[in-house]
Amino acid sequence: MAHSFQFLDDIALADLAFEAEGDSVEELFCAATGALLETLADPATVAATWERRMEKVSEDPADLLFDWLSDVVYWKDAAGVVFHDAELSVRQEGSTWRLEAVLRGASVDQTMQTLRSDVKGITKHLYDVRQEGSRWYARVVVDV
Amino acid sequence: MTLNTEMRVNRITDEVWEIPATEKSGMVVPARIYATQGILQSMDRGVFDQVTNVACMPGITRYALCMPDGHWGYGFPIGGVAAFDLETGVISPGGVGYDVNCGMRLIRTDLTLEDVQPKLERLMTELFRRVPAGVGAGGFVRLNRDAFDAVMTRGARWCIEQGYGWHRDLAHIEEGGCIAGADPSTVSEHAVGRGINQLGTLGSGNHYLEVQVVSNDRVFDPETAAVLGLTGQDQIVVMVHCGSRGFGHQVASDYLKTFEKAMRRYGITVKDQQLACAPFRSPEGQDYFAAMNCAANTAFANRQVITHQIRSAFAQVFDRSAEELGMELVYDVAHNIAKVERYHEGNLLVHRKGATRSFGPGSPDVPRDFQKIGQPVICGGSMETGSYVLVGTDRAVHETFGSTMHGAGRTMSRAQAKKSIRGEQLQQDMKRRGILVKAVSMSGLAEEAGFAYKNISEVVETVDRTGITKKVAELRPIGNIKG
Repeated sequence: MAHSFQFLDDIALADLAFEAEGDSVEELFCAATGALLETLADPATVAATWERRMEKVSEDPADLLFDWLSDVVYWKDAAGVVFHDAELSVRQEGSTWRLEAVLRGASVDQTMQTLRSDVKGITKHLYDVRQEGSRWYARVVVDV
Repeated sequence: MTLNTEMRVNRITDEVWEIPATEKSGMVVPARIYATQGILQSMDRGVFDQVTNVACMPGITRYALCMPDGHWGYGFPIGGVAAFDLETGVISPGGVGYDVNCGMRLIRTDLTLEDVQPKLERLMTELFRRVPAGVGAGGFVRLNRDAFDAVMTRGARWCIEQGYGWHRDLAHIEEGGCIAGADPSTVSEHAVGRGINQLGTLGSGNHYLEVQVVSNDRVFDPETAAVLGLTGQDQIVVMVHCGSRGFGHQVASDYLKTFEKAMRRYGITVKDQQLACAPFRSPEGQDYFAAMNCAANTAFANRQVITHQIRSAFAQVFDRSAEELGMELVYDVAHNIAKVERYHEGNLLVHRKGATRSFGPGSPDVPRDFQKIGQPVICGGSMETGSYVLVGTDRAVHETFGSTMHGAGRTMSRAQAKKSIRGEQLQQDMKRRGILVKAVSMSGLAEEAGFAYKNISEVVETVDRTGITKKVAELRPIGNIKG
């Protein structure tokens, strides 16, 4: 299993939390992004008519993931879209980590899409990115 | 008594409990929780941990407080109140909440249940059409950057100037719907990008627009109710719960990041990263205060535009003007905010996070119309139960920095609620019980099921018995719009 995520029941009473895991930092990013996209809307009901390419760098993969997920939330509001998928490449370059991403989705359409929770922010509450053996894990609480 | 904490909790009265400052290393003041014994026992561990974390913050005055609807939050508990010395104290986004100036607004009407019931389906459809809700929904007000700057600095006043409401509405909004000291230059472009298209939108989560009934048998103080324009007699009112949307959240996120770095510079340590703060008088602290006020004004404007849409919907459905329908604003009050207020210690920065201002009769900050009864306090319950109108008291000013409860408070996580019921089933169940629900997201609806919340009546009884607020009337839902 390259990557997966699960929503956590008892961590955030008024909000939502998920744990993501993957065989690499890139797989971890794919899992966490998948969880966030699923939180907002069912990606299978969202077309890919809107696209945004992004690049981000950070010395810390935890900071990079936090900033990336926050950017997804930003585009949801700024462009009024929900998301179909995200194509991600994460690699280490010396002491920094570089993310290249293509985020795809479509304008919000209540008649066509199964909309879920309006995530308003990624929080640092219990935020954790860690490596155990060869596998990477992240716990993320999102404010809804 | 079994509590979700190992800390010592002393009974002060039947509804006031104190955790001494000796219970946690670093506590500057004791923590006080307002709750009946039953509510105290049901409070989650986060409340005890977080209110005592707040009690460790620099410059905190008297007590760290938690109201009876308190539950786990980010940094501060929801229901948290703390006042800081302006010179030695701090300002913290974790004490305001991500949704800056999330608040409640109540609009009265001259309509009765008998008038509305036959047209309820049409009314809810029209409200659902006019007040966008849910993920990514944009509003009908198109703003350029200059206009958005004006919204940030002028709040609900800007709306009145644009024709979204009546001039007399302003007198019935906390701070007249416009807080001084808002400075758009302290707000990031990211925040502007998230907020500029969202004016007049509800959002999702626990935000809602609700059509409610005030029955005679649920008016506890008829004289005060009459001053508020609440007649009972199956009168219809409309309640709105929402805030500054993505804009306020981005302001909070931006300054949490700024404060993480600033704390190192100022040598401040906190018990929880979400309590990141800066000295109030520091450049970073002042910038956040100015940006937070921009978000607060935007929230006042958001609820004002929604009010305009509500009035338009009623006017269309009942074929009479909103004035003819008596759709006066009862009051609009913030429950996520930090403000400078005067107490016997002097001017203090009061953080209220999921807590409502509760000033008593005669306070200069209470509108002239309500000088004799005290400031209206509007508290929303779950969408399946009732909501309440209360009024503030002098006792709150003396005991709780003029603060009281804001709602019911959750007891069950969103994930658990969704596992317990499906949104479609809940919608049908509520319809059978006479509550018509229009929701953008069925999973979001399930998350807000009544059983996920405390019994608001018990919370209200607590604040009423302690005298920090007096209950006036209970409002029963008949129609609800959710994101």
